[in-house]
Amino acid sequence: MKKYGKLLYLGIIVLFLYLPIFTLMVLSFNKGKSMSAWQGTSLKWYIEMFRNEEIINALGNTLTIALWASILATIVGLLACIGMNAMRDKSRSFFMGINNIPLLNADIVTGISIMMSFMLFGISLNYASVLFAHITFCIPYVILSIMPKFKQLENQTYEAALDLGATPLYAFFHIVLPDLMPGIMAGFLLSFTMSVDDFVITHFTRGAGINTLSTLIYSQLKIGVRPTLYALSTVIFVLVLVFLIFINIASGKGESKISAKSASKEDYDYKGSSPFKKFAIIFGILVVIVFAIKFTPTVPGKVTEKGVVYVYNFGDYIDPEVVADFEEETGYSVVTDYFDTNEEMYPVIKNSSARYDVVCASDYMIDKMIKENLLAKIDFRYIPNIVNLQENIRHFTESFDKDMSYAVPHTWGTYGILYNTKMIKEVPIGWSDLWAEKNKGTIIMPNSIREAYMIGAKMLGYSINTVNEGELKEITELLRKQKPLVYAYGNDNARDLMIGNSAALGVVTSGEVLYAMDENPDLNFIVPKEGTEVWTDMWAITSRAKNKEGAEAWINYMLSEKAARKNFEYLTYGIPNKKIKDLTDNPILNPSDEVLSRCETLKSLGSKGDDLYSKYWKDFKS
Amino acid sequence: MNSMKKLFSVPFICFILCGTIVPMGVIAYYGLTDREGLFTLKNIMEIATVDHAKALGMSLLLSFLATTICLILAFPLGLILKDSKLGKKGFMVFLFILPMWMNFVLRTMAWQVLLEKNGILGGLGIINTPTAVVLGMVYDYLPFMVLPIYNALVKIDNSVIEAAYDLGADYKRVLFKIIVPLSVPGIVSGITMVFVPSLTTFAISNMLGGGKVNLIGNIIEQEFTASANWNLGSGLSLVMMIFIVISMALIEKFDRNGEGNMI
Repeated sequence: MKKYGKLLYLGIIVLFLYLPIFTLMVLSFNKGKSMSAWQGTSLKWYIEMFRNEEIINALGNTLTIALWASILATIVGLLACIGMNAMRDKSRSFFMGINNIPLLNADIVTGISIMMSFMLFGISLNYASVLFAHITFCIPYVILSIMPKFKQLENQTYEAALDLGATPLYAFFHIVLPDLMPGIMAGFLLSFTMSVDDFVITHFTRGAGINTLSTLIYSQLKIGVRPTLYALSTVIFVLVLVFLIFINIASGKGESKISAKSASKEDYDYKGSSPFKKFAIIFGILVVIVFAIKFTPTVPGKVTEKGVVYVYNFGDYIDPEVVADFEEETGYSVVTDYFDTNEEMYPVIKNSSARYDVVCASDYMIDKMIKENLLAKIDFRYIPNIVNLQENIRHFTESFDKDMSYAVPHTWGTYGILYNTKMIKEVPIGWSDLWAEKNKGTIIMPNSIREAYMIGAKMLGYSINTVNEGELKEITELLRKQKPLVYAYGNDNARDLMIGNSAALGVVTSGEVLYAMDENPDLNFIVPKEGTEVWTDMWAITSRAKNKEGAEAWINYMLSEKAARKNFEYLTYGIPNKKIKDLTDNPILNPSDEVLSRCETLKSLGSKGDDLYSKYWKDFKS
Repeated sequence: MNSMKKLFSVPFICFILCGTIVPMGVIAYYGLTDREGLFTLKNIMEIATVDHAKALGMSLLLSFLATTICLILAFPLGLILKDSKLGKKGFMVFLFILPMWMNFVLRTMAWQVLLEKNGILGGLGIINTPTAVVLGMVYDYLPFMVLPIYNALVKIDNSVIEAAYDLGADYKRVLFKIIVPLSVPGIVSGITMVFVPSLTTFAISNMLGGGKVNLIGNIIEQEFTASANWNLGSGLSLVMMIFIVISMALIEKFDRNGEGNMI
């Protein structure tokens, strides 16, 4: 009976650990894109996964970085252990203490501090910088795995070998190393796993064109993670599972008898020649897999005569076909990198840690970058397609980019309320409905400073760019009053929560509405009567662009009817292109002039303004 | 001979220097200066303001809870695994490391799906509350508690335990007088390996807290990203380093041999 209790306990813990993983696996077979609504079984994400060059590249990067980082970290770590064991106890303790810092430090601090150091010493970010950072955080795992094995070494054997005439090197490889092997292997595998799993540190230390699976997943949060990534994770997971079971069975034969008898002597079952073999098998398989993926035919960055255009864009924000068309029609080749928010993009451009030619950014960020001379004026002689741009958008962009000389709109839209017609009796008309007691627990508000304050400002009739402290205080109070009514503050998941009927009223951008209504026919959208924010995400050329002609060709191409049409169909975000009015002429994507007259655009507030907003936001959140 | 051997640690020291010490120095530099580059202690003193102190208090509370739950779950688990045939080290590492091959962001998202109002576990009603955040912490960091405790437990010589029984001790006495004291180094490692990352997390509270649970990690992240105030972000990070130093001191105290028990 007691034994069953133990097994039950073990089972519950394992269930707890594997439940989310199982969930993702199930979702990878979901026909629809949404995380919360089941729309039938399908294998389409698996098929799409193998066709997607980006995913394959990111997978290749993830594995090569992990392989190199863990090999180098294992070597450095092993040498360090040998060295440290020759030290006095005090200095050894000191180094072991320092060794713990990267393990204990918050990832974001480690990542940013490494990035800042690179910038400070003028080292540009690239593949090598990511690798360096990974080696740095892998070494501690290796050392912590190997060090205990040193304690268990029997020095007499080593000395006996020396007495019998072995050279120190020979004795090391034949006596010491086999005993250390389990630790070395554990360190190597742990490093490999940690490197694959890392997101934050990679995110801050990567250069142009370097994406790992984690950064790819994160960059898709803006548009919604595609189930191809669940499919990929499932495949990886199953492969690793099979691989590890195989290893376990292969190495368990003939040794398990000893280990079963006495768990405390578990190390003995690795003795003999098998650790080398085991290590060699694991290592060999890993290398083969990595190179098989790395050298699949989809090698990117074929440099053509006209050179490469480096594009820095929000994740999943143009139709990949448009990129291919552009390359084909103009002869440039394109390397694209992704970010999730403007604020992540900004330090990269500002410090030119990675050099991009064209960047996509939102209105207020463009404003800031113009003020800081980070953008180059566009030569409109090379942008003949500018005639396709909708006229009414100029009114908004000209509030920060006079005469439209620095940036050209890619997408635009408004913020409004997505609501569920089945869950809400009265159709909402304005922001004030988000403060109505009857809607308690069904509201999703934005989790970003500017959007939340925009809503408050509009309710109170202030400018959405106010830096008046009294007004900000009032808005903060207003937001605080609403807090008990709110189900969640979210940016990326508001749409999915609405599709899954978890909430009845959500603040979303107009770009998400068509998709959401498609997935859940009960949803509808209004632009609040108090007025709202018109946002524009724009293409701009960086002042340090190496390929300005290519950047202009890119912008010109994005304004073409063909690109606009494809991008619209891919994104369903509003695209201000006259030529595709047949698709976008509806009040959601193209509000009437009367509605637009009550709207404003966000502007940069300067660092003092930012600090003020930050202060009140923290006050509100606490 | 020994001085020669010491040289083997040179590459390691180089990495530590370039990858840990110098970056920490940079954080310290930013933390102790303002936007104009002038020396100031303001960024550090900021931790005392109501908003920051509240967030720190919440972080301390939640990570304390998460650590306690992890410990309560992990210790019996370690005992079970020590006694069972399953307790082969390879299998253990396998069981607890394997989930990490599913990406961290995706794993946490999966919890979001499960706990959402209409999710399988939606009935619990804990999504967007501190409880969900604690659950996320326990989920993500439990392996870091289980592995060191398990490692410490298997190191205990069974003959010591048998001797205690032979001398007439009951199970309770053996547990508290022998097993627990001998596994203290593992417990301490486990506690720090769970407590510190829980204390500084921002992703878990963002995804499972629905933006309603404000932790010090969220504030630091916000300063580094949305507010672009790296000086304040660095200053607050420096304060957080106090906890890292305390943890290191604790590990040092209980792990005099310097062999490390974390993994």
